[in-house]
Amino acid sequence: MKKDNNILLTLKGITKYFGTHKALDNINLDVKKGEKVVIVGPSGSGKSTLLRAVNLLEKVEKGHIFFEKKEVGYRFKKGKRLLDSPKNISFLRSEIGMVFQHFNLFPHMTALQNVIEAPVTVKKMPKEKAVKIAEEVLAKVGLSDKKDSHPAKLSGGQKQRVAIARALAMEPKLMLFDEPTSALDPELVGEVFNTIKALAEEGMTMIIVTHQMGFAREIADRVIFMENGIFVEQGTPEEFFSSAQKNERISGFISSIL
Amino acid sequence: MKSVKIFLFSVIFLSIGSICFSNTSDLLLKAENHIASGNFDTAIEILNTIQFPEGKNEEDTINYVKAKIRIAQIASITKDFSSAQAACRKALNADPQNSEAKELLNSIKRQQSPKYVLFFTDSIRFFPSLLKGAFMTLLLVIVTMGVSPIGGLFIALGRISRFAPVSIICWFIIWFFRGTPLLLQLFFIYYGLPALGITLSPLCAALIGLGVNYSAYLAEIIRAGILSIESGQMEAAKALGMTYSQAMKRIIIPQTYKRLIPPVGNEFIALIKDTALVSTISMVELMRSADRLFNTYFNVNVLILAAVMYLLFTTVFTFIFENLEKRVGIYEKR
Ligand SMILES: Nc1ncnc2c1ncn2[C@@H]1O[C@H](COP(=O)(O)OP(=O)(O)OP(=O)(O)O)[C@@H](O)[C@H]1O
Ligand SMILES: [Mg+2]
Repeated sequence: MKKDNNILLTLKGITKYFGTHKALDNINLDVKKGEKVVIVGPSGSGKSTLLRAVNLLEKVEKGHIFFEKKEVGYRFKKGKRLLDSPKNISFLRSEIGMVFQHFNLFPHMTALQNVIEAPVTVKKMPKEKAVKIAEEVLAKVGLSDKKDSHPAKLSGGQKQRVAIARALAMEPKLMLFDEPTSALDPELVGEVFNTIKALAEEGMTMIIVTHQMGFAREIADRVIFMENGIFVEQGTPEEFFSSAQKNERISGFISSIL
Repeated sequence: MKSVKIFLFSVIFLSIGSICFSNTSDLLLKAENHIASGNFDTAIEILNTIQFPEGKNEEDTINYVKAKIRIAQIASITKDFSSAQAACRKALNADPQNSEAKELLNSIKRQQSPKYVLFFTDSIRFFPSLLKGAFMTLLLVIVTMGVSPIGGLFIALGRISRFAPVSIICWFIIWFFRGTPLLLQLFFIYYGLPALGITLSPLCAALIGLGVNYSAYLAEIIRAGILSIESGQMEAAKALGMTYSQAMKRIIIPQTYKRLIPPVGNEFIALIKDTALVSTISMVELMRSADRLFNTYFNVNVLILAAVMYLLFTTVFTFIFENLEKRVGIYEKR
């Protein structure tokens, strides 16, 4: 264990197989409180799998996850690796917000209902209090006027901002973004980035997977290049983008998506 | 051919003989014999020879009335309504109190009235008992509609469950109840279970049979509905910290409603008709009521009326399901 008291999340030796395919290969990562880590890399390199492993949507075969210094996610019984109890996993997930590429809003609920759902169901928060929080976070993402709209009536950018609000309403300690703008029309990307940037400025700890290099350079404290389930290169944006010119694979990747 | 000739000859001989030598009782007897062997014309000839007695011979009067009634009955069967009526009137002239003649005259008059009047009067006559049956059918339909979606949901959830024993049991229930005829299941519940010491009333057996059968059918529909919801929904719910059951209850199942209404509605329309099967386990519902009336009166109007009642049910429920579908799905519209 690191002595650094500011570490929020630690991954140690995380290895994940899909059948015989090694999607994550001995991943080690420390994320400090307030740090913004951006992960880039080609399709199929394991970026989504990594994010999903952090909040246990994906069960991994090897490795340890520490959240706020405590090991989370797995129990070991007679040498067998088992997922932790549903209650503990549920609690961990309630502390980690996740934003998906395809929003995954609940279509049968209005924006407001989407946002209050988890506080009421998971945290057993009284509805009035949940509504108050929901109105605050919806205002933060600039969608107070859309709170009674169903997702079908919102634009892609608005949907993603509601999804961010939905995650924020749980008052998470860590936010995971999996290509939050990849499904958006180019003109809607900006509004979502601005929302994430505002959140970053408030000091939220984040791990962001994105293909938008400009955004990565702007928001990241650290950029990680991932390929074949391995962290190939990492550093501050300055270090990363200057070294990228020397690294053929990274420069090839960057030029391929620009 | 030879035997036919002999037969005809003897018939003519016998009738001539009977005209000449028999008293009225013998004549009646002879006529009955001819009726029994289907010789209606000969019978009528004989019956017509029985005259109204001049004196006040009581027996002859009774026989005269009987003869006229017989003539009227034969005539009404052969649709010769004017002769039938005339014969009835003659009988009533001789014996104005004769109830058989009165009823016959009424029924002949009824049969002569136009078809639609006939249908109308029949309808009024059969309506009360058919209505009783229809209420029972409605009760069966509504209880099954209330119970089977809940049963179906639990079987579907069990089937999806990753806990193998539950999944296997639910698979078996679906396999068994969808794979055997409902009629057989009803027979087993009503006639078979008593052998195991469980005796059920027809209503109870009918409700259990329909309930379990439709639960099994709906289970497959509901399971398909749940699996049709994008996996992203379950992931988003889990990522927010919801447990599997919270996610099912709050997120997944509510989204299946719209998709389930059309196929479930279809099953329920089939259910309305399937309730007719429970008439076989002595449950008196619409089909059974119609069957009873039909066997008593041999009147096709009973069946038409029952068909109209079934159509009324299916139409009303179709309308309800269509409206429900429109209302439930409103959030999906842009
Ligand atoms: N459920 C699964 N079953 C089998 N293989 C999977 C599954 N999910 C992911 N994979 C495989 O694991 C590898 C990593 O996938 P992952 O989705 O993490 O990539 P990614 O870096 O997020 O790619 P993209 O940029 O396209 O989103 C890929 O080869 C993918 O085919
Ligand atoms: Mg991905």
